[in-house]
Amino acid sequence: MQHSASRLLGLIPTLLVLITIAFFLIRLAPGGPFDSEKILPPEIKANLDVKYHLDEPLLMQYFRYLGQIITLDFGPSFQYKDWTVNELIARGFPVSMTIGGLAVLLAFLLGTLIGIVAAMKQNTGTDYSLMGVAMLGISIPNFVVAPLLILLVAVYAGWLPAGGWDWSVQRMVLPVLTLALPTTAYIARLTRGSMIEVLHSNYIRTARAKGLPELLVILRHALKPALLPVISFMGPATAGLITGSVVIERIYSIPGLGSYFVQGALNRDYTLVMGVVIFYGVIIILLNFIVDLLYAWMNPRIRYNEVQ
Amino acid sequence: MEPPPRMNTVRLVIVAVTMLMLAQTVWPMSVNRGLGPEPDSLDIHQAQGLSAINLLRDLREGLLSFDAKGELVPGQAESWQVLDGGKRYRFTLRPDARWSNGDPVTAADFIRAWHRAFSPQTASSTVGLLQPVVNATAVMSGKMSADALGIEAPEPGVVEITLTKPAPWFLELLAHPVSYPLHPSSMDDPRHAPVNGPFMLEKWVPRALISLKKNPEYYAANSILIDSVKYFPIEEPAAELLRFRAHELDITETIPSGRYDWLEKNLAAQLRTYPYLGSFWLGINFRRPILGHSASLRRALALAIDREILVRVVLGAGEMPAWSIVPPGISGYRPAQMVERGWSQERREAEAVRLFREVGFQAGFGKHKPLVIELRYNTSQLHRRMAVAVSAMWKQVLGVATELVNEEWKVFVNNRKMGVVTEIFRGGWIADYGDPSSFLDLFTSGSALNTTFYADSEFDQILASADRDSGVVRMERLHKAESVLMQDMPVIPLYYYVSRHLVSTRITGFADNVRDIHLSRYLGSTAESP
Repeated sequence: MQHSASRLLGLIPTLLVLITIAFFLIRLAPGGPFDSEKILPPEIKANLDVKYHLDEPLLMQYFRYLGQIITLDFGPSFQYKDWTVNELIARGFPVSMTIGGLAVLLAFLLGTLIGIVAAMKQNTGTDYSLMGVAMLGISIPNFVVAPLLILLVAVYAGWLPAGGWDWSVQRMVLPVLTLALPTTAYIARLTRGSMIEVLHSNYIRTARAKGLPELLVILRHALKPALLPVISFMGPATAGLITGSVVIERIYSIPGLGSYFVQGALNRDYTLVMGVVIFYGVIIILLNFIVDLLYAWMNPRIRYNEVQ
Repeated sequence: MEPPPRMNTVRLVIVAVTMLMLAQTVWPMSVNRGLGPEPDSLDIHQAQGLSAINLLRDLREGLLSFDAKGELVPGQAESWQVLDGGKRYRFTLRPDARWSNGDPVTAADFIRAWHRAFSPQTASSTVGLLQPVVNATAVMSGKMSADALGIEAPEPGVVEITLTKPAPWFLELLAHPVSYPLHPSSMDDPRHAPVNGPFMLEKWVPRALISLKKNPEYYAANSILIDSVKYFPIEEPAAELLRFRAHELDITETIPSGRYDWLEKNLAAQLRTYPYLGSFWLGINFRRPILGHSASLRRALALAIDREILVRVVLGAGEMPAWSIVPPGISGYRPAQMVERGWSQERREAEAVRLFREVGFQAGFGKHKPLVIELRYNTSQLHRRMAVAVSAMWKQVLGVATELVNEEWKVFVNNRKMGVVTEIFRGGWIADYGDPSSFLDLFTSGSALNTTFYADSEFDQILASADRDSGVVRMERLHKAESVLMQDMPVIPLYYYVSRHLVSTRITGFADNVRDIHLSRYLGSTAESP
């Protein structure tokens, strides 16, 4: 417990470093939020700089920003002027989390299943074909898969909508599938590898020698240790999936969080980029923390309290 | 007792016909439109992007508005007088102009909105369009109070605007969102404020959907055929095309590049391309030693480019070869096109070689010591293809070695503005208003928008003198000013833009026009399902 609490406290200095680096990096990039095709008259540029405090020294802006985010206020977006960054994140994240969460779930269930089957049928035709498909899933980028899926399923067959977002299941199917595909493939390969390793260990041989049926050997004895590498992969993978994917969002026109990050950087939308960076930082740190807890629960060898 | 079977059929037919008629009348008519990127703001003084401006034109209305063909028509003002030789305008508001909450639109609503637009605290980026108004710059920079601004309300239903000098194109700016009125309540809350346009905001889900419904208080509400408009912000043109093909959109904002041939073959009835008031060119930095000093060299580079190949093979989306800065389509104006336009490409290239040798002889470059120039553009597949093609043409015809430099958008515009590292760069302009001066003013010496740093007193003088005249004389002078530009060639025109949409065949009232303005109030739809 004590360990968990101190790890959570460690979040603060990590975030502070993250904020500082991100703040000065985005300011180093040439061009500003108001540079565009049409160059602004100097009077208007001056008004804008005053309004957004861009006329102040950078260090002062930095401390002003720190003071502001202590109150959890990320400020107004430069690009989407009618919305605050808090509002944009609050609207974008649930969408990304839904699609990403479903994709994670699908990838985990399907990936481990494929991996276990492949491991059980090691070096057979089933194994080779499953792993072949998995390799394909990892190597084909989703900007190829997504338009192909839309063309086949939405345009030609007319079964599902071609894109857009209204929280209906029909509009989630294709993005979730596209997003889950490479992760499923990766998990399948990971599960197969570690399952084969576990199946060769002594205690499994003992279990088999006792005359336990193969299915029970797998479920009762081999599954938990075999899933350990998958669990540690799931932490960062989940963080990556639930924070949104730019490619998926652009092709399916989904209002998730991923595009804000990239668009924000391209538009020099300082407040939006900072807001999303901080938000990502918190999510990734939290997920890693959860994975550590899960890991300890599944693997008695690293349980902290018992060592102490 | 069963009725005879024939009776049954008759009844069935009657029921079916009645249902069909009901479906025709009762079903709400809706149009689904692609919007392009997410609008930057629905605040009339903050909106800058085209998607936001287009939305605001459906939600609100200025003193003037546009008809289906993009021509100016009376809006909230039913009539106006031009006084003092074009320096003063007197607008009479429509008696039936109303806000969506039923309040009448008054002259005070305009004055209030303009004071907000010019206030330094608002920091509007588009208010510069209204610079011709008396004391505009002084009020904008906070040196004078808003009361000094050249807008007054002598009577509740009359708005008077005074300009520093006649500006014949000024009326069009009164149809631009920056000059719209604001309701006194919730001035700073564009999401909930009452509007005075044909539609009202119903729902706004950022980057997913903006849905509008008919405003019953709008003076011409009875003439509007549809009940609602759904705008879908779709940033990716390829995704927009897929959604159009899946019948989820009736009108797209654009078409993906490189798909023109395919669309012409497969969606010919839906594809709508039309000239647009925009030009694409290569700008030349006049601060550069050789390029900046030799008009012959610039002309040689311009003539060596085969524009036909450029628009047909490289771009292939219906663009038109350009030989002038001002695109065709502005009523009353004849663009000053380069004389070489009528020549064959062989003759142009021969002339290019002749000019190039002449300059090379003096400046010391030629066959053995090739001229090296730099062409800079912002990262985009289309710009890269354009740049590669142009550099290949220069190489082939003149033997010029071109260094291609691509930069991220903000870096590029920043470098172009500074004019230190740029040599030849991607440039272009889309008209703010349908007048040649929207293009020609870019090249006046000292203009913040002049990224070529071209400075010519003759050109400046002709342009200034043009504003003292009106009508045909003014257009003649502007034509003369453009001829000077085409002689000096601060930019090499490549092509004129076109507007490109896919419009479902069930949609009525979509009229192609050079301003590419298509207000939803003129649209209709012939059936509910596509």
